[in-house]
Amino acid sequence: MSDPRFTSGVELATGIGLRVPHYNHILSEKPAVGWFEIISENYMVEGGRALAVLDRILDQYTVVQHGVGMYPGDAGGVKFDHLRRLKRLVRRTKTPWISDHLCWGSVDGSMSHDLLPIPFTFDAAKKTAENLRIAQDFLEVPLAMENVSSYGEFKDNEMTEWQFLAEVAERADTGILLDVNNIYVSSINNGFDPMEYVNFVPPERVAQIHIAGHSHYRRFVVDTHDHPVIDPVWKLYERAIERCGHVATLLEWDGRIPSFNEVWSEAKKSETWREAALAKRQENAAA
Amino acid sequence: MRPLEETQRKFFAALQMPLRGTSRRSTHLSPNEEGHSPEFLAKAEELMEPGENLSSAERLELYHRQYWFRVLESVAEDFPALRRMAGEEMFWEMLEAYLQTYPSGSFTLRHLGRSMARFIAEWPGLDETQRRWFTALAELEFAAMEVFEAAEREPLPPEQLAEVELELQPHVRLVAMPVPADLCLGWDSFQPGEETPTQVAVWRGTSGAHMVRLDAVEHELLLRLKAGGRLEEIFAEPVDPEPSPEKVQEWFGAWQSRGWITRRGSEVIELKVGNNEDWSDVDEMASQAMPMEE
Repeated sequence: MSDPRFTSGVELATGIGLRVPHYNHILSEKPAVGWFEIISENYMVEGGRALAVLDRILDQYTVVQHGVGMYPGDAGGVKFDHLRRLKRLVRRTKTPWISDHLCWGSVDGSMSHDLLPIPFTFDAAKKTAENLRIAQDFLEVPLAMENVSSYGEFKDNEMTEWQFLAEVAERADTGILLDVNNIYVSSINNGFDPMEYVNFVPPERVAQIHIAGHSHYRRFVVDTHDHPVIDPVWKLYERAIERCGHVATLLEWDGRIPSFNEVWSEAKKSETWREAALAKRQENAAA
Repeated sequence: MRPLEETQRKFFAALQMPLRGTSRRSTHLSPNEEGHSPEFLAKAEELMEPGENLSSAERLELYHRQYWFRVLESVAEDFPALRRMAGEEMFWEMLEAYLQTYPSGSFTLRHLGRSMARFIAEWPGLDETQRRWFTALAELEFAAMEVFEAAEREPLPPEQLAEVELELQPHVRLVAMPVPADLCLGWDSFQPGEETPTQVAVWRGTSGAHMVRLDAVEHELLLRLKAGGRLEEIFAEPVDPEPSPEKVQEWFGAWQSRGWITRRGSEVIELKVGNNEDWSDVDEMASQAMPMEE
């Protein structure tokens, strides 16, 4: 189980990302989905239909905010205008936690709109944790940092990615959004054992898990979120649950988005894996 | 150990270098078969560890592609009429130059085209006719994006017009152009005609962005309304030509019926959406990477 201070004590089961092609289905059919994750930046606006649809979703469902623009690894520090917009949205959604990515993405105010990898150095861990502490204090909501998919490693690296993730989370005292698909993608691109990664993560800090599909090319893997989840990723998920216990689980599907029912039935597969993992966890505890 | 700031500056500078070779062929940009520049290769060598399957440069190139694929696709989507008018070759050349001059400065990709009109007004790749029309068209298309996410305040009942300080709704944009660039929205290709100054209002209605032409005096009065004030302040200075009282009444009636007038400082209202709306014009940001060719 996650430490309740990383989830505001809110326990969620299976959810999916709220995406535009599904708006009408959700609004008219009100499907029995546990919760929705929104991309914060799509709703950090002054008005218009995006907020109107969000308000209708909030009438029926729990919504958790997931960001793509905090860039806590930026050497330039935190961006308070961004945090102010985020906080305004938090008041609307009452999200139990906010997740974003353990990455950097801007220099001198110029944005990459990508989740760029941070060099795994002690200096970078210190700076990132400092930014996260400021952000978490400002937002007054628990933060969970997601491991990103990576396509390369820096020469400056002083530790593994999983050591870096744990180091930052400990220093900043934040939760972790463990994306097991991203672990798989990075393991292929950077040549490491993904199970070693899952086995190292501090289980009490894992507030949420992401599952997703990706695209396999001849020499690398790209995190496209446009396929079903593959078995090796399910196995990482199973192991993560075995270690962490019941954790809120969310399927991301962002490219070539199929029908709502197809996405939801893919997400529901996690329940079978979760039950098996929780049974194993009980057996281990009893032994 | 290299400082984090230095690593990020070098990495970001590499991302902003022009695409070349295979990566470039995956976009609509004109091909450039040259390999990576020595500067790109030097940065890759300095920053990135080579992997089992990919060299340092190939690893950096994956990020390089992602950066360009995303910003090109995003800004192109916001200017469909400009794309038709400029034609494919000129449009993509313009976009590449634009993104090199004005990289994104906002947390959202929706604002990426904010400086497009300013850029076109100075870009040397256009003749003067194109410049006038394309600058105006870019301003118009970006206004449609702006109203999409602007706030809306409580519309003012007509009987209160004379009683309170007035203001134009935030989701209404006024665009004054030296040419009737709004005509381009209905054209398949660029066919410039008479160049008459044209004023347009762009606003968000129930089904997305709407556009209507304005009389020059009507535009002037709306500018005053935008600045805000009581009715007598809006009419304090004469306008030329002086409109008839019937005309002014007709304009105010139209503005009221579109919900353009609000009381200064009134509450932002929450819109309602139905169960079956057309969401096809809504772009979303997400965390996925862009598909690519090997």
